[in-house]
Amino acid sequence: MIYTKKSPALFIIGIIMIAIWWLADSGTMAPYIEHLAMGKKYSYLGELTTLPLYTGIFAVLIGAWQWFGSHKEGHWDFYSSTIAGGMFILFIAMLVRWFVAPEVAVISTGMGKVGETGSYIHKLLGLNYVVIGIVTGIIIVNVFKIPAWAENGVRLSRLGLKTGVILLGTLYSAAELKNLGGLSIVMIGFFVLGSVGLVLWMGARRNIPNSMGGVLSAGMGVCGVSATVAAAPVVQAKSVEIAYTIGTILIWGVGCMFVFPIIGNLLGMSYVQFGAWAGTGILNSAQVAGAALAYQPDGIETLKVAEIFNITRVLVLPIIVLWLALWYVRREENVTHTVNVGTVIFEKFPVFVLGFILMFALSTTGVFAPANHYKGKYFGNTAESGFKQEKLLKADQIALLQGESSKVQREDRKTALQRLIENGKIMSIDDDATIRGLINAKVMSKDANNILKDAHKAVRHTAKKIKKFRQWITWLFAFGLVGLGMQITVGSMRQAGGQPAVIGGVVGFVKAALSLIVVMILVHETI
Amino acid sequence: MITASNILLASHGTEGALAAEDMAFKLCNKGTHLHHLIVVPSFWKGTTGDDWLNNGTTRDTFRRYLEAELGREVDEHFERVGQAAMSLEMDYTNDMVVGEPDECLLNASQQQHYDLIIVGSPRPRGKPGLRSRMITNSTTRKLTTPLLIVPYPDG
Repeated sequence: MIYTKKSPALFIIGIIMIAIWWLADSGTMAPYIEHLAMGKKYSYLGELTTLPLYTGIFAVLIGAWQWFGSHKEGHWDFYSSTIAGGMFILFIAMLVRWFVAPEVAVISTGMGKVGETGSYIHKLLGLNYVVIGIVTGIIIVNVFKIPAWAENGVRLSRLGLKTGVILLGTLYSAAELKNLGGLSIVMIGFFVLGSVGLVLWMGARRNIPNSMGGVLSAGMGVCGVSATVAAAPVVQAKSVEIAYTIGTILIWGVGCMFVFPIIGNLLGMSYVQFGAWAGTGILNSAQVAGAALAYQPDGIETLKVAEIFNITRVLVLPIIVLWLALWYVRREENVTHTVNVGTVIFEKFPVFVLGFILMFALSTTGVFAPANHYKGKYFGNTAESGFKQEKLLKADQIALLQGESSKVQREDRKTALQRLIENGKIMSIDDDATIRGLINAKVMSKDANNILKDAHKAVRHTAKKIKKFRQWITWLFAFGLVGLGMQITVGSMRQAGGQPAVIGGVVGFVKAALSLIVVMILVHETI
Repeated sequence: MITASNILLASHGTEGALAAEDMAFKLCNKGTHLHHLIVVPSFWKGTTGDDWLNNGTTRDTFRRYLEAELGREVDEHFERVGQAAMSLEMDYTNDMVVGEPDECLLNASQQQHYDLIIVGSPRPRGKPGLRSRMITNSTTRKLTTPLLIVPYPDG
């Protein structure tokens, strides 16, 4: 079978991408970009004047070859057949990120703030490029269907997300990973075991078959559809039980992706709190990433927290599958097969997590950023380390800080501030930490705090490689989530029903509500 | 009583489909050709949904398991209806297709001449089963063969 389709689609996509680049680069699109920017700086101009040119040329060349060339069966044919679908996802992600989401923001801003919330609708509902991208994917697959030439490539979305998680490994500091890892082990441990146990208990009370209880508990307890896929064969779930479970989880997952950011915004949750809540309370791992990026579209702090929870979940998955397999074999008299512990653990182990750990280990050696970096940032107050002389404090700024220095009571803060005043810049990494503490304490006036913030920014640099990684990670997740949206069918969601819908509804709600309470009580604003 | 010599029966083992099977047997005479159609709805293709955490081995294991499970269910239905048809000395054939149930029924009805198509009623609310409709407005408009929709057993 030849997988590569002789279609003009990829070629046309390439032409459109190049046209977009030309319109942006030549300034023809400037009035429209100004409209989208709403008087501010348009955030994506750098991307818009580079990315579509490179990807467009690639798509035109490969597209022409796919359209006019001859294709033979083989590995290369299979791999090349995925390119059109991959570029299709990327094209949709580009359109949504650069034009659709900003246009939604323009319309929403035009409609004014919502009542007493003080937020615009798009902010409140988290209608950014991530959420709109996933929704666009869902609409494409359910309304228009995935075109035959793109079908193979849609699977690349998984590769995009896994690569994104692997690269994310470069952005954690050891302390951060230790603290987040500890928190996620405690929370995931409690809520996974709790929800698996609750499903099995409710299942026994409602007399559902063991196979249904087994597959539902994995899906509700660990990581949604992924856990269902992993557990269904070992608990010998019937087809209808699988359909019920996946339908229930998909509806919950998609619903949570919209509801969680709204609640997070209303409660004013910090990025860490929201990441921890989404990572624990949302059933489906894809929607965890979606909700995290929906909550913080132009930064990845929330995603970093949420993904640690996702990784913890997926590491727990083989153990839960093994437990369910043993549980099922003991309960079912007619089961003749035995459970091979090693095989279950080996087959279900998520290899991409090793990539994440490797990238983290590499980043700690300083290969991506200076050795004293923290979250990809490093301290530098000399010209060689990136400090710009024009960032030195001006006389009027020094005078203002001097005038308010008496408000500072703590000795360490007094000393750090004095050194800043004397030198016009922050002199050490310890002083920088102290000054940040002073800013957060809000002891001084707003103007003085702004000067301190600028002084902090002047010596805190993001490593170039880390900046690139952040950009790549954002794109990989956007690409992956749009592609995953294209795999969420209404047909699958419609199957939600029966006992799994009832039990899943109860357990899903309890998990979301209880994890919210725990996060609000136990998780601090920073890690 | 209606009789037919060439019947298309769409049945997949639900309560409504079992009622359709009973009706088909009542309407058949010795030597009647009964073609049994089972449609595996296309939504199964998207069953792995938005799973992305699993590795290829786990997904392949799941796909193979699901295919085997659906295949086993289809074989059971063919076996059950086939045996009943044989005992009534009917000419029994069967076919399993994957797709949208209404489109598959329409296609099957056009592939050869049938006197009658027999299907079960849609599942009443609250009854367990998959949501996948075979009888839609579009199908009934396009069908050129008489269609008999058998009432749900206790409906």
